[in-house]
Amino acid sequence: MVEFKLPDVGEGMHEGEIVKVLVRTGESVQQDQPLLEVQTDKVNAELSAPVTGIIREIFISEGETVEVGTTLLVIDAGTEAKAEETKLPEKVVNPDKTVNFAPARADHRRSLATPYVRQLAREMKLDIELVTGTGAAGRVTEEDLRQFANRLQKSAPAKFPTSATGNERQLEESTVPIGTEPVVQPKTGTATRAATSSQGDIERLPLKGIRKKIAEHMVKSVTIIPHVTSVDELEMDQLRALREKIKPHADKRNIKLTFLPFFIKALVIALKEFPTLNASIDERTNEILLKRFYHIGIATDTPEGLIVPVIKDADHKSIFQLAEEIDQLARLAREGKLTMEHITGGTFTISNVGPIGGLQATPIINHPEVAIISLHKMEKRWVVREDEGVIRWMMNLSLSFDHRLIDGVTAVRFTNRIKELLEDPNLLFAEMV
Amino acid sequence: MVVGEVAVETDVVVIGGGPGGYAAAIRLGQLEKSVVLIEKEVLGGVCLNRGCIPSKALIHTAGEYHKLSSLNKLGIQLPTGKATFHMPSWQTWKSSVVDQLNKGVDYLCQANNVTVVKGKATFLSSDRIGVETGNDFETYKFKQAIIATGSRPYIPSFLKTDGEYILDSTDMLALDEVPETLAIIGGGYIGMELGMAFAKLGSQVTIIEATEHILPQTAAHLSQEVLKQAKQLGMTVKIATKVEQAEVANGSVTLVCTSEKNGSESITVHKTLVTIGRVPNTGELGLAQVGVEMDERGYIPVTSTGSTNKSHIYAIGDVTPGPALAHRATKQGIVAAEVIAGLPSSVDSPYVPYVIFTEPQIAGVGMTREEAELQGHKVKAAVFPYRANGRALAMDEGEGFAEVIVDQESHLLLGMHVVGADASNLIGEGVLALELAARVEDVALTMHPHPTLSEVWLEAAEAVLGHAIHVVNKSKVAVSK
Repeated sequence: MVEFKLPDVGEGMHEGEIVKVLVRTGESVQQDQPLLEVQTDKVNAELSAPVTGIIREIFISEGETVEVGTTLLVIDAGTEAKAEETKLPEKVVNPDKTVNFAPARADHRRSLATPYVRQLAREMKLDIELVTGTGAAGRVTEEDLRQFANRLQKSAPAKFPTSATGNERQLEESTVPIGTEPVVQPKTGTATRAATSSQGDIERLPLKGIRKKIAEHMVKSVTIIPHVTSVDELEMDQLRALREKIKPHADKRNIKLTFLPFFIKALVIALKEFPTLNASIDERTNEILLKRFYHIGIATDTPEGLIVPVIKDADHKSIFQLAEEIDQLARLAREGKLTMEHITGGTFTISNVGPIGGLQATPIINHPEVAIISLHKMEKRWVVREDEGVIRWMMNLSLSFDHRLIDGVTAVRFTNRIKELLEDPNLLFAEMV
Repeated sequence: MVVGEVAVETDVVVIGGGPGGYAAAIRLGQLEKSVVLIEKEVLGGVCLNRGCIPSKALIHTAGEYHKLSSLNKLGIQLPTGKATFHMPSWQTWKSSVVDQLNKGVDYLCQANNVTVVKGKATFLSSDRIGVETGNDFETYKFKQAIIATGSRPYIPSFLKTDGEYILDSTDMLALDEVPETLAIIGGGYIGMELGMAFAKLGSQVTIIEATEHILPQTAAHLSQEVLKQAKQLGMTVKIATKVEQAEVANGSVTLVCTSEKNGSESITVHKTLVTIGRVPNTGELGLAQVGVEMDERGYIPVTSTGSTNKSHIYAIGDVTPGPALAHRATKQGIVAAEVIAGLPSSVDSPYVPYVIFTEPQIAGVGMTREEAELQGHKVKAAVFPYRANGRALAMDEGEGFAEVIVDQESHLLLGMHVVGADASNLIGEGVLALELAARVEDVALTMHPHPTLSEVWLEAAEAVLGHAIHVVNKSKVAVSK
């Protein structure tokens, strides 16, 4: 018997939602045949059979969220499906052997905590897996829980004004007994409507799938990172002129040339000069990791929600190559075809909301990165140049940075440098590798 | 059923009064829920009446009896003449132990306002259950239900037990005499525990196991110690052997067995015990009436709170997939009760200890070395032998060892296993250490009382770190690839 457990298909993911179960008990499967679809950190992954055999037992159902290491199903390896084999054979074999005393869920990845602290976390409705432990060997202590709860309380109203508890990851709904007011919505199922005289008509939708993942990720980010946002404005006339000049060449090669590749180029040059912006913090070891590679995430709007595909080694790619890759990734994102490979490993994220509108924002950093830049609407504004009011194409950018690592002065110098490069694209080309 | 029946209303019904069911009922009572506990036989279930307690009473007795033969070397001179064992007297004593525990459970149920109903329960709908109580039929209306009906021995149809020659474990513990020859089909923990006990009491025991190892649930190096002892007790152990046929004639049972090694052979014995696994008691509950899902083997899948696919119906213990262990059932029962009462409880620990009362005993918690490596750990492990422990030698119990398995990088404990005298009590330290997320240093730096068997953990932990005092430390501690 082979126990098939939920593997860690992403970078340190700890749970996944079972989207589809593709096999049934008693079914014969070939090695590498798809068994399940699981939704992990923003992508759907197909899990396939590690061995050829018969599905003996399936422990999960569609819509269920399970932790990494959980046994999903059991495959009787090396046998072929025959109807009679689904029953216990009459000859004396030992059914005991299929049940090992050792626990199937002995997953070492679960956070370290004593049973009392786990109980306390449940009472506080906190997911202990999200709490960083400060105890010996990274154990989560009672104090860690209380501080985590305090941080949640402080951050919650600002970001999620509807409910103070709405951004805590809730415990499973089955903890709610019948006859009491449910505090958690089922993870699956259709929307329900409940009307009360004091609240009016409220539609309840399950928080699940990518939306749930985004919610969790955002909470984690604002909980851990002290965010500061700095805003500046850029004059875009020269860059616009340059783009107009190059565009026909791009068109000939069927390349859709937007402003984004230029922003990425400027960003990479600035990141090389300000290495703390292209870094992360290892909270367990209290170390700063300065990254000498430049994988730029591009926050992309999709029908499913915000997804961040990553352009790897952006510093080694030309403007045209970047343009092509952006186009390709955006298409995959919209079609829901991104893989884990496409969305992991980023070192810095750009959120380009300009085409939609908006003047400024406080973008949430994509943890474990330490900064994010948001590009806003490009528009003609009256500005003063050499003591005269003139009309220029202007654009705002908002930079949120991790104040643990980056000071305000550094952040402003960083955006100044980007501004310099974009306002005078000749400089951009002079610096380009 | 009577037309116009009146259903008694209760918050919770618990079906099954075993260690899971009665613990759930008592906890519900403590949490001020009205609770009806339905049991068709006697409170305490298999564990108390036909399993853990009677078998441990027999194993203890057999151990004491067997020790008599080695007392001479300790300087204890017995009167001349061989000691004898009188099984009917043992039955009386066993019954007194079981009775005392039964009464205890009964008293605790009363003291916690649990209404105990004797009868056979069947679900009538998603909120009503019927109970056949002798000639009566009572109906209870519930808000929540807990299914705790346990399991029974699996007996293949060609091995029909008759209570006289072909026995299940319940029959075996009710015998009035020790069989001269005994075959045990199934070398799992029940087969080996009872087999060794009867061997000590004088039976000629043959174990017939279908797989390559006795005690297939445990790591081979642990069960090896038991195999050694089984041979010393004069037991015959046939592995990779299947029983094809059983025939009762002339007051004995003839079993036809086949194995690749020996081909076909027959064994004739006075009694045969069949112990090849257990099946859940879910067939006659009327679960279809409520839509509670079962897998194809009859087990009810549950969440970590014990909830089935019907959120107001819970299942605990042997009817759920997983090892059929009383302590697992008790934990699940308490959690289900607390969840029903609105407390944030959960069976969220991967650490389910196991205890096997063979000679020597085996007990463990967490991963074996092989499992840890399969899960991607780089492993450090060390064993400390009983023969290097003063107390073990002073007890004339030098066989066995304690093993500590550690993640090489973090030094976190991954598993603790022990084979040897009193392993069943020693494993408590292991369970607590793993639950508290201890590192191997935590065990090594804790002062253990001397002279006790518990020092085997201290020294095994020190051995992992390369500085055990009472064994010569190998210069390189075993490290996995």
